Amino acid sequence: MSTRTLLRVRRPGRLAAEAAALVIAVAVAFPLYWMVLSAFKPAGEIQSTEARPWTLAPSLDSFRRVFEQQDFGRYFLNSLVVAGTVVIASALIAFLAATAVTRFRFRFRTTLLIMFLVAQMVPVEALTIPLFFLMRDFGQLNTLGSLILPHLAFSLPFAIWMLRGFVKAVPEALEEAAYIDGASRTRFLWQILFPLVFPGLVATSVFSFISTWNDFLFAKSFIISDTSQSTLPMALLVFFKPDENDWGGIMAASTVMTVPVLVFFVLVQRRLVSGLGGAVKD
Amino acid sequence: MTANTTVYKAPETSGAGGAPARPPRRRASPARRSGWTPWLYLLPALVTLGGLLVYPIYQLGLISFLEYTQAQVSGGEPTTFQGLGNYATLFGDSQFWQVLLATVVFAAACVVATLFVGCALAVLLTRVRALPRLALMMAALGAWATPAITGSTVWVFLFDPDFGPVNKVLGLGDFSWTYGRYSAFALVLLEVLWCSFPFVMVTVYAGIRAIPTEVLEAASLDGASQWRIWRSVMAPMLRPILIVVTIQSIIWDFKVFTQIYVMTNGGGIAGQNLVLNVYAYQKAFASSQYSLGSAIGVVMLVILLAVTLVYLRLVRRQGEEL
Amino acid sequence: MKLSARIAAPAAALVLAGLTATACAPGTSDTDAGSDDKSGTLRVWLFQEVGNKPKEKVVDAAVAAFEKSHEGAKVEIEYIPVDTRAQRIKAAFNDPKSAPDLIEYGNTDTAGYVKDGGLADISKEFAAWDEAKDTDPAAKQSVTVGGNVYGAPLFVGVRALYYRTDVFEDLGIEPPKSQAELISTAKKVHKEKPDLYGLAVGGAYTYGAMPFIWAHGGELADETGVTYESAINSEKARKGIEAYTSLFGDDNCPAAKCAAMGGNATVTAFASGKAAMAIGGDFSHAAVEEGTVKGKYAVVPLPGVEEGSIAPAFAGGNNIGVLKSSTHRTLAVDLMKSLTGKKTQAEMFDAMGFLPTYSDVRDTVAKKEPFVEPFVKTLGAGAKFVPASPAWGQIDASLILPTMFQEIASGRKDVAAASDDAATKMDAAFADAG
Repeated sequence: MSTRTLLRVRRPGRLAAEAAALVIAVAVAFPLYWMVLSAFKPAGEIQSTEARPWTLAPSLDSFRRVFEQQDFGRYFLNSLVVAGTVVIASALIAFLAATAVTRFRFRFRTTLLIMFLVAQMVPVEALTIPLFFLMRDFGQLNTLGSLILPHLAFSLPFAIWMLRGFVKAVPEALEEAAYIDGASRTRFLWQILFPLVFPGLVATSVFSFISTWNDFLFAKSFIISDTSQSTLPMALLVFFKPDENDWGGIMAASTVMTVPVLVFFVLVQRRLVSGLGGAVKD
Repeated sequence: MTANTTVYKAPETSGAGGAPARPPRRRASPARRSGWTPWLYLLPALVTLGGLLVYPIYQLGLISFLEYTQAQVSGGEPTTFQGLGNYATLFGDSQFWQVLLATVVFAAACVVATLFVGCALAVLLTRVRALPRLALMMAALGAWATPAITGSTVWVFLFDPDFGPVNKVLGLGDFSWTYGRYSAFALVLLEVLWCSFPFVMVTVYAGIRAIPTEVLEAASLDGASQWRIWRSVMAPMLRPILIVVTIQSIIWDFKVFTQIYVMTNGGGIAGQNLVLNVYAYQKAFASSQYSLGSAIGVVMLVILLAVTLVYLRLVRRQGEEL
Repeated sequence: MKLSARIAAPAAALVLAGLTATACAPGTSDTDAGSDDKSGTLRVWLFQEVGNKPKEKVVDAAVAAFEKSHEGAKVEIEYIPVDTRAQRIKAAFNDPKSAPDLIEYGNTDTAGYVKDGGLADISKEFAAWDEAKDTDPAAKQSVTVGGNVYGAPLFVGVRALYYRTDVFEDLGIEPPKSQAELISTAKKVHKEKPDLYGLAVGGAYTYGAMPFIWAHGGELADETGVTYESAINSEKARKGIEAYTSLFGDDNCPAAKCAAMGGNATVTAFASGKAAMAIGGDFSHAAVEEGTVKGKYAVVPLPGVEEGSIAPAFAGGNNIGVLKSSTHRTLAVDLMKSLTGKKTQAEMFDAMGFLPTYSDVRDTVAKKEPFVEPFVKTLGAGAKFVPASPAWGQIDASLILPTMFQEIASGRKDVAAASDDAATKMDAAFADAG
């Protein structure tokens, strides 16, 4: 808050800045507004060449088409299962790993850290090829596992890297005190360290959640014929038709797909901002 | 810097002297006699990464040295070792160089645009009252949260020549954004900027808030312009944060896939909007030249590895410990 | 420097490991099934057509009858987009476990799929099948590779010229009789009615462009005994390419819109009243009937270079094949028979306008429906096929020809340069396929 007070000096300057901030906010929000608006527009208005920024006859037809589509609820659930599993598993695994690399000193520690960093650079899409064969050889194609496993692997390095800062921020004195009080290492880990690092875990989860929820490449490549294992992005593609894209359906499906992420973001917003600050400050 | 080197100066000492002759520790920690514990903690992560990241990378490298097309995959023909043959094919293809150049230029443009907009808006956030700040923050979070695939479709729809509002407002008639190479790239860039500036903005904003108020106040009382304050006060203090966001942006923007794939319909007219990632995908999965696709993947990997090295050197120059 | 060394070492190790150990490359998939269950779920992939509903109805009826007569069998139909079919079907070959039992495939893909080891040889069943005896020889040829039969023909696809009778009447013009006239007519219409494309063309509409190449005596590729050699950059072929690409531009079909279009998009443009002419297939009939131009159009064969001649059309068509990996071979073959049988084909014709592959059925429907006349005429004038090489699938999937047309249409390259590039890429594909 205090950063602002100093700039109170020049009022017209601040008013201009605030006006600019509002205009930019509107511009940034516009695509989302247009998405929701188009989802509610009746068919005739979407395909009309008079694109109006409002609608007088909101309709749920597009949403109805989306939900009537074969197994849409199932796709939604699949997406939730995949993203949820990845978020929880990667948070736990990354927490353990981050603890290891920050609270212990051992051989290859720096090498490992560098490897975690390098792992973030790996272009996921390029690995689609070997992963396809790997999943095939393990009989995982066409299952949700083929989506969960790779995403888990790809979200881990960044999660470890980010969590490091949070674990480091917990004073060592606290750890020593805990041991003096007779706490075991496991007890310290889960009952003291874990709750303290929890905000960081939440901030980290945002990233694994988004990347998993958004994935469409793996879903497209690994879920080949079993449509009951499809995820939301695939359901969205159904509305891209060879003859004429069903924009109403696309926008309604997009809205349905975006809402859970938005909710998640709003819920963790505060922690995210402070979390990012903490992570990069070290 | 020195601390770092002392800790890991001599692995051969520990090798020669056995377990007790560990390198000297920088600080005494309760974890002194840690033994196997850190490895136990690391085990799940290492297993996951080993199986699903390292092994596939190894396979990727391997496939790039083989003749591996559909016939080999379905067992019709034996796989043969090609040595550098696939790389020779790749480097001899003028399209590859075009795509590489396009990827680098496009990623650079995205990074510069994202950083500039993100930092400018972060500074702007510090100068406004709570309400406009909340509005901008919420809008940015919304953009950030939007899945790449829906973001891409919405932007394509906004710029649709027939039904989109943008052409109406700008009076462009039925100008097709995806037809021209540069306008198509510009459209994708706008979308990438839209969904990636929030990360920079939020992170830098958090960083600025952590700068002691007195410092900024002093600068402001000296009558320094906003640009001056940024140049000589904020930027140097935010250096670690700026490095992190720059590197993250480079990684993300270099690997752009969904946006190009969705917005230009798989690489644009006559492949004009291909970037390496999409190019590799098309080679591998559309034309079943898995080995060529893998070779492109290896090239990307090497380039990003180089970026990482630069990053590590930057971090080290600051004397930061890993 | 030390840090970079630390990174370089594992990286180098990785590369070295890759160089030395070739033993553990990803395995190959064993596409042979092994079992032949007489009950269970059959998965079928069919193509999603423009205006797919009528097709679904016919298929649903055939499936219902099949399920009734085969107790314990369930059929799951999925309609897959034609544009990205190659990836889906390849993936299915790569993982037999997730593969469907039956697929619809374009006849241009037959050779490639057989080479990939994806389709089951059903020569015996086909020979023993009564109805198959009436299959016209060209259609049978399209499922035959090396003397063995790999599926049953579903329909014959041949393209002709759709035009708007009301527009032509309005402007007092006649349907074109030669290619030159076709082009001038297209430009004339667009000049008089700027809202309409004269002739809707697409940069990605390979099969609409081929007749132009063939009409000038050009070929896609020449057979050289064992394999093929691209002929797309021959003098004659270039003339055809020149003629086709001259239709892109502000005087007919603006490149900004048309360069990206495929066949379906041009048909959609015609059906929705945005074009005065389009090159559409018999299979596009239903979609056009559904559109706003119903009752205001007619079809004639696509004219050739000589006045009054017919440009050789592409002998397209789709087949239905059983996958080698199917664990329900007997059931799958039965289902294939019922999906491609005379009854279903006749219904499919009524619903979609798909030309039947049985000579007798085709004659019957031709009498009933005069609209098929120009298509049958086109077929009679001699239709041509793409090179019967396994490489064609790859040439098709790597978009070599669409890229060429798009490069020319958008003015990025001239005909000579673009066709030379395409020829080089085609030759590489032919060489790969051996």
